[in-house]
Amino acid sequence: MNVHQVLSGAGPYDAVTTQALAFRALFGAWSWGGRDVAAEIDPRIGHRIAPLRALAAGAIGSGDVLLIHYSAYAPKLRGVLELPQRKLLISHNITPARWFWDHDPQAAVVCALGRKQLPEFAAAVDVAAGVSLYNARELGSDTVIPILFDATALGAPAHEDPPGPPTILFVGRLAPHKRQDAVIRGFELYRRRHAPDARLVLVGAPINARYEAAMRALADELSPGHVTIESGLTPEQLAGRWRSAHAFLCLSEHEGFCIPLLEAFHFGVPVIARPVGGVPEVTGDAALLLNGADGDGVVAELLALAVGDAELRAVLRERGAARVAAYAPEPTARTLRATIEALAHVKLVTGGIG
Amino acid sequence: MKPEEALGAARAAAARRDDALPPGMTIEPTERVSIEQLMEWAAIEPDPDLMRSTRRLGAPITWAKRQLVHVLRQYLRELQSQQTRFNLNVLIRLAELEDRVARLEQRERERRT
Repeated sequence: MNVHQVLSGAGPYDAVTTQALAFRALFGAWSWGGRDVAAEIDPRIGHRIAPLRALAAGAIGSGDVLLIHYSAYAPKLRGVLELPQRKLLISHNITPARWFWDHDPQAAVVCALGRKQLPEFAAAVDVAAGVSLYNARELGSDTVIPILFDATALGAPAHEDPPGPPTILFVGRLAPHKRQDAVIRGFELYRRRHAPDARLVLVGAPINARYEAAMRALADELSPGHVTIESGLTPEQLAGRWRSAHAFLCLSEHEGFCIPLLEAFHFGVPVIARPVGGVPEVTGDAALLLNGADGDGVVAELLALAVGDAELRAVLRERGAARVAAYAPEPTARTLRATIEALAHVKLVTGGIG
Repeated sequence: MKPEEALGAARAAAARRDDALPPGMTIEPTERVSIEQLMEWAAIEPDPDLMRSTRRLGAPITWAKRQLVHVLRQYLRELQSQQTRFNLNVLIRLAELEDRVARLEQRERERRT
């Protein structure tokens, strides 16, 4: 069987690209062939992802399956819908444009058009799925193919609480909807009240240089010398950040899934998060979830508990491990395989009848 | 402490505090873009610093791209001014229409009362 993956865009630090490459490794293990193509390709990704034209008519068999990873507006993908092959769409969710208009107009346009185009795509494919039930329901579907999360690839967690001053971590793009501004404010209040030597580490590629400069200026103004903003870390460096963290603070306003939550659980780092989008589904009972009305003061006090209460840390660690087990790669791989095989089977049956 | 008790405890502790951070930059979503904001955006001014290369060792490519922008500046200014002219005129027309609709709605309300 051949499964061709189609991406809106591909890049070296892009979660969707990472997911597609992980799927490709699985397909290889199942002796399935196919190509991975994208409408927009960051040159740093190399030859692992081919341009969309590689799917030109004649280059793929009629019994092949197309797996569309939809994560951004890409007008060139419309042509893929016209191909006769069976199609599975996985929605990785698109951030509402309202978070970007002020800070990155190009991203805002892509998000606005992408959210408009997504239902059209979902209606045109054979099966529409989401990486979370939240994402799937946005498409009127209940098919969920979660993120293929391989905890072992992240490296081993530390066995004890990290030494040194309390370190609060957030991992995610430096983007308006991730609300690093609120993370900085909550952290700074916590630092002033409970831990003057605490550190905040924000890891994530910025949407643009201007936004990064604005966040750095805010950090320097509110918490000079206590906030580190970094990106482009190697997997080993990122694992090091996780091992030295005492708590993970996610105040994002929009998340389709949020892989760093599972990373935090894997490393045994207590999680404080806002229950938006797919977050409650991923965390289950393993995180401290804020209410939308809870301000900086409540964030600061929750940080103090998450860092300082040994019993709370132990329970969260135990529940986090259960969430990692719930998202083990084997059941996700089985769901993916069953969905694709069912699609291909329908095609074969229909082909036989026709 | 159990996780289920943590949020309540944090809220109670926060309520006992009266300290707060000085107001600073806060990110808010743009729910509805005002005409004034649109007017500001209509006069397009791309930041040349955003012109860059994402390739490994992309600095020379970034430099070359910026040189190209510099060389083409006369043409790009023309392009910008034509686009801005169109944007602003559409917005002015939109603002006039909004005013007109508001006046008509007001008149209709007065007529009914």
